[in-house]
Amino acid sequence: MKKELMAKIVLFLFFAVVCLLILIPFYAVTIASFKPGGDLIRYGLNLRFDLSVMSFDNFAYLFTGDHAYFTWFFNSLFLTVVQVVLTLLVSATVAYGFSAYEFKGKNILFICVLLIMMVPFEILLLPLYTLIFNIGLMNSYSAIILPGVASAATIFFFRQYLSGIPKEIISAGRVDGASEYGIYIRLILPVMKPSFAAMAILNGMNSWNNFLWPFMVLSDDKKYTLPIGLKTLLTPYGNNYDLLIVGSFFSIIPIFILFVAFQKYFIDGMTAGAVKG
Amino acid sequence: MIKRFLYSQKVAPYVFVLPFILVFLVFWVYPLGSSLSMSFQKVTLGQDAQWIGLDNYTKLMGDKTFFKAVANSAVYMVLTLLILIPFPMLFAVLINNKFMWGREFFKSSFFFPALTSVVVAGTIFRLMFGEMEGSMINSILGIFGIEPMKFLKGQVTGYIALVALATWRWTGVNMLYFLSGLKNIPDDYYEAASIDGASAWQKFTRITMPLLKPTTIYVLTISIYAGLAMFIESMMLWNGNNSPKNIGLTIVGYLYRQGIEKNNLGYAAAVGIVLLAITMIINLSQLAFSGMFKKED
Amino acid sequence: MKRKWLVMMLVLTMTTLLFGCGSKSSSSSKGESSVLDAGAGENATELSYWTFVELHGQHFEKMLEKWNAANPDRQIKLNVTVMPYDDMHNKLSIAVQTGVGAPDIADIELGKFPDFLKGTPQLVPLNDVIDPYRDTIVKSRIDLYSKDGQNYGIPTHVGASVAFYNTEILKEAGVDYKSIVTWEDFKQAGIKVHEKTGKYMGTADTSATWQVSQLLAQQGTDLTDDNGNPIVNSEAMVKALKLLKDLQDNDVIATIAGGQPDTEEAYGEFNSGNYATAFMPLWQMSRYTNYMADLSGKIAIAPIPVMEKGMPRSVGGGGTGTVVTKTAKDVQLAKDFLAFAKLSLDANKEIWNTLGFDPVNMDVWDMKDVTHNPENKFVKYFINNPFDVLNEIKNEIKLIKSTPASPTINNVLCTVTLNEIFEDGKDIKKALDDAQAQIEQELK
Repeated sequence: MKKELMAKIVLFLFFAVVCLLILIPFYAVTIASFKPGGDLIRYGLNLRFDLSVMSFDNFAYLFTGDHAYFTWFFNSLFLTVVQVVLTLLVSATVAYGFSAYEFKGKNILFICVLLIMMVPFEILLLPLYTLIFNIGLMNSYSAIILPGVASAATIFFFRQYLSGIPKEIISAGRVDGASEYGIYIRLILPVMKPSFAAMAILNGMNSWNNFLWPFMVLSDDKKYTLPIGLKTLLTPYGNNYDLLIVGSFFSIIPIFILFVAFQKYFIDGMTAGAVKG
Repeated sequence: MIKRFLYSQKVAPYVFVLPFILVFLVFWVYPLGSSLSMSFQKVTLGQDAQWIGLDNYTKLMGDKTFFKAVANSAVYMVLTLLILIPFPMLFAVLINNKFMWGREFFKSSFFFPALTSVVVAGTIFRLMFGEMEGSMINSILGIFGIEPMKFLKGQVTGYIALVALATWRWTGVNMLYFLSGLKNIPDDYYEAASIDGASAWQKFTRITMPLLKPTTIYVLTISIYAGLAMFIESMMLWNGNNSPKNIGLTIVGYLYRQGIEKNNLGYAAAVGIVLLAITMIINLSQLAFSGMFKKED
Repeated sequence: MKRKWLVMMLVLTMTTLLFGCGSKSSSSSKGESSVLDAGAGENATELSYWTFVELHGQHFEKMLEKWNAANPDRQIKLNVTVMPYDDMHNKLSIAVQTGVGAPDIADIELGKFPDFLKGTPQLVPLNDVIDPYRDTIVKSRIDLYSKDGQNYGIPTHVGASVAFYNTEILKEAGVDYKSIVTWEDFKQAGIKVHEKTGKYMGTADTSATWQVSQLLAQQGTDLTDDNGNPIVNSEAMVKALKLLKDLQDNDVIATIAGGQPDTEEAYGEFNSGNYATAFMPLWQMSRYTNYMADLSGKIAIAPIPVMEKGMPRSVGGGGTGTVVTKTAKDVQLAKDFLAFAKLSLDANKEIWNTLGFDPVNMDVWDMKDVTHNPENKFVKYFINNPFDVLNEIKNEIKLIKSTPASPTINNVLCTVTLNEIFEDGKDIKKALDDAQAQIEQELK
């Protein structure tokens, strides 16, 4: 018994230390968000808790100041929601097609899904850029949403999840006279709900934090997303650190709340998908 | 008639997978094809392209900066594999232990860093690893009497910062992958092993590791991909694509430099094709080696 | 249940934010575009302008007011977008090449300008609007932004290089900056400063070529030969870097966070009084007033030391060419406004008043009421008047050519070579030979 207690304490302490290390950067940013931006440039990001230089000024500036932060914030929010909803619906539909039917070319198509997961998206940047330019989608959110709408990873996850759902549901639906699409919409989609939550988190996270492609496509700063906007603050000719740090701090919050709210779904969803492959 | 056709069991699956086919053709096959053809051309935006055969590739083979970039990406990938597979696996096994207190709390805290965007995380790490005496890492080193270091100006120290950033962001995610893998291992295996008198280490090497193989392969595959294609992390850490002596230049960074910064689209496309080839070769041989294809039906 | 509650909270926060902050209009701001009305009426044409320096927008704001008052039938609203240096140039390059998404007017930094002149420049020649002012402005500054006799950019300043001395540190060490004439003087002063205060006399720049340019100009050479081919391993270059390296070895100069004085990290270091001198183009003045408030009243401006007495003491450094793109909404309007905002006498005065730059109309340099205005924030900040120094070195301001090879030369020197020399102590000749080879390879 004593040995068990010891094990518990050692384990706990070990994880507590690692956890502390992981949380230090968050602590540093939190502290820094209360300090003047000039201090940051002068002394670097540090852990010094010094009430004499700390104030709510940056927060006041964030909420009342003259800047575009909340335009970017809501652009990101909007884009994330639209992107998640579209990607989930499209990917789930495709995944259902792969899982419920045997059809000609299925294997080859599915290998394509797997291949996509292995092709670095980055190498497509330039041709994709010219493509988007040629079809007139520059500087539009469609240019960001469309290429990712049938997300390979999401399709893969959903297919794995669906393979765990008894095929009897489908045949029972057919017996009842439902159409192929009716079966999918009325019988299958409801069953997939848990995996939706998981993929919503994963895709939402990617979308909220997505940078390179939107950065290349968007040129109108009124359309900038939060990461792009924050990046534009990183210039030596602007003294923007007041806003940058508090803005970075604040950008973590929504996704953080979502995670806390949905984390069980998230972990469950990963169990459903990632492992059986 | 059309409705009958669309609703038939033969056609329905194609309707279901149609979005994928479209996206695949328009946003993958076409750009890949044009990338390939661009790599044999001299392409400058706004001007007509010229076919120049293998010139881009021969130039690439003599380009020291390109090899620097390849080496950087490869080293980064290897380092992340060495750190981001064993440690998360170990953490997952430990945290899954029945003696664990506060499991849910630790799981969440480990995952938090992944929620921050690279832009934010990279900036935080850039400032933490600043070369001033007062910046976080240097002030901690100062406590132990170590002189302030110029982290982001040296190859090794720069990579410490870069790998620290990757480790910080991805440990929790990979740990969760392994945790889900662990859930699929039936408890009876361990009970049976206990009855046979197996030690904890034996259980780990004989049961846990082999049964985690699918998860490991999955994590390995995405890590290889992510490691070789890394760019933004470096861009944020060095606040731009031009790090001192190119210590942070990656393959994608070089593609970006040539394609976007220097308007050499053809040359950049060749960089991309080489990256694709490297990624494919490593990943496919890795998958073949681990016998993934045999299982795939 | 807990989850629902959290989501509710999230939604609530978002809506509060939306109503609290959504409806704010902005006049001038950070990291976003802001529309400058400047008294423009309903029928004003809206022009867009990209820059990487926030302050440039402020100058345009002032000139815009004057323009709109003077040209009621051709009023303009200016939509200013400030982006980081690299990003702005990259985006602009793509936009002008593809003809989509480019602004009407844009700032292009000297170091990037040759990239925009490649092939057929997608910029509008400005000769006709420059002509009326041609006699009043320094010709070489226009030539920097020209190709085949066409002028594509309008300069902002001369950028004469000077030395900025922190007199507080020098006093502590018992050094008088006025007695520093040659590099040897500078070295002896620096050794004293380091012994007495432990601080460094100056910086060894690793991410910019200001110092290198200054030392080459003194010797009457350049980074490129007469045909525009790189010669970064020339005798003069070796001599220049040996001089700097010797200063570094004697703890006179040291590398600085950020790599050169014009970076945010370096502003911090200077502001904290860790380095006494910066050898920079005159526009560094505005960095002092904006980012180094603690040094107010302590900085003196002087000519840069020379290798031997009688050598030219300055070189034009940096620069921004403002251009009009081919896709501009109203090309003529943009051109006229640009000439008015940057070349007119009024503009040249304002360039000094607002930006603290040395204007390209050198007549302004002699206008005491403008240059010595006691209300001017730059006059107030510095110990001596910059124009006293400028007029002293007026005829010694040399030029480093801008050629198609320049962006590559700069890139190699600033990312690789200077770091190798000052951070790693690599042999100077070897480092420069490597750089030359690398540049030639990249230019192939």
